[in-house]
Amino acid sequence: MTAQLTHKDTRLVGNSFKLGYRFQNYWGNSMAVAFFSAEVGTGLFLVSYVHDLIVGMILGLALAGTLKPYFHLAHMGVPQKSIRALFRPDRSWISRGAIAIGFFIVPAIFYLLKSGGVFQFAAVSESLAILDTLAETTAVVAALVVITYQGFAMSHSESFTLWASPLLPVSSAAYALTAGCLLALVVGWGSLEEGARSSLSTSALLLLVADLVVVLGILHHAKNKSKGGEFSVELLMKTKFTPWFRNLALIVGLALPIVILFFADGFVAVLLAAVFMLVGFMTFRILIFKAAVFEPITHDLAGRFGLV
Amino acid sequence: MARMGMVFDLKACIGCNACVVACKQENSLPDGVFFTRTLSHEYGEYPNTKRAYIPTICNHCEDAPCEKVCPSGATYTREDGIVMVDGEKCIGCSTCAVACPYDMRTMLEEVMFENGLFGEGQLTPFEEQGYDRWIAGTAAKCDFCSQRVDVGLDPACVYTCPTNARIFGDLDDPNSAPSVMISERGGRQPLPEKKTKPKVYYVD
Repeated sequence: MTAQLTHKDTRLVGNSFKLGYRFQNYWGNSMAVAFFSAEVGTGLFLVSYVHDLIVGMILGLALAGTLKPYFHLAHMGVPQKSIRALFRPDRSWISRGAIAIGFFIVPAIFYLLKSGGVFQFAAVSESLAILDTLAETTAVVAALVVITYQGFAMSHSESFTLWASPLLPVSSAAYALTAGCLLALVVGWGSLEEGARSSLSTSALLLLVADLVVVLGILHHAKNKSKGGEFSVELLMKTKFTPWFRNLALIVGLALPIVILFFADGFVAVLLAAVFMLVGFMTFRILIFKAAVFEPITHDLAGRFGLV
Repeated sequence: MARMGMVFDLKACIGCNACVVACKQENSLPDGVFFTRTLSHEYGEYPNTKRAYIPTICNHCEDAPCEKVCPSGATYTREDGIVMVDGEKCIGCSTCAVACPYDMRTMLEEVMFENGLFGEGQLTPFEEQGYDRWIAGTAAKCDFCSQRVDVGLDPACVYTCPTNARIFGDLDDPNSAPSVMISERGGRQPLPEKKTKPKVYYVD
């Protein structure tokens, strides 16, 4: 039975003038969707690039190039000044990610135009052919940055033990590539060769196992690093968020797709695995934000009073 | 150059929250926004229950994580160590708010300026003159009442405290009141494991 936070559990204090744990309320669902769409989109683009699957690259670019900017701008307090987000790549992961997104979208468009036979710089002038290669390389490198930078941005926040883990960027990349493999299978089922489908299916299965290990590693790290981290894990695994996290993020999102891919094959199996995985990934994204708590302001004093 | 900091004397604090009111008044803070809070905690079992009061404020960290993560350069540190936010440069990404381990940042929302302190949707003249200072959608936080510090005054919360539980001064001056208090009574920094080097200390 899931333990419940009782009315006597005074550890969560909200906005009151009391000593205790406070939820992080600054990054909400809009940011969660922005993070999700960036990672799924660029993951799909990268996997499709490896397998020369144009429709996958187009879909990946569309996801990352529209939903990510839209939902990230929707989160901003002053979106009309968002160009300033590019100003500090020397120390801000937000700046680095914003630049990476730009260096992904524009070159990817040119690369896809070339791949589709619509436009290439080499056709304009032989001396410009280098720009075709540059566009392709830049898009791929930028996509690799995008699938990890959000995890780095979170892991650099020492405020929340749940986030301050070196496994956060690993989870971003692993989930992105998992989504990429499954979605590439779905959109490219008819056009991919049997060998490519088999390779993608195996890769997806291995990545799903890796995702599970990484998620459990994040929880283990948080539980053992601080009282706040332990409290966040308790919220996810025993109390407030358990039904969503255990059932959707872990079982539906990871365990079920593993079982499906291990025991079944065919388009329906892959489609189901992809849908379940994406539901679980979105749930993980939302709950990793919601379950983050600030440590009590004066930890040593809180301990003396029996709070921690 | 000075390195401005503060010491909280937990033996002196009585939890009156006069500092909170003074801060709101000095800075014309809108509804629901607090740059300083005095947290309370009851502990022990009847009949030996006690209540502790713990003032909190932006710690103006020397290694401020909010400044490091700010993508627009809106958060910066003055020469005297006071960490400021330039509202004109802020884009409201909230990265500073999630980076601050002490949860001492506020994201200003439009609705905060619309309700008014009396919740009737009309602003008093005091609010109207004060709200010009803030931009909805941006981050805001304590700046040690920099406008007062610049003319040689203490922050409003320090000036108001009836028990002298808040001591403000130059931490680089070994003879300043906060420096003396830290050395004599063993000042402790909040959440030292976060390695932010806060310039606010606690003594008890």
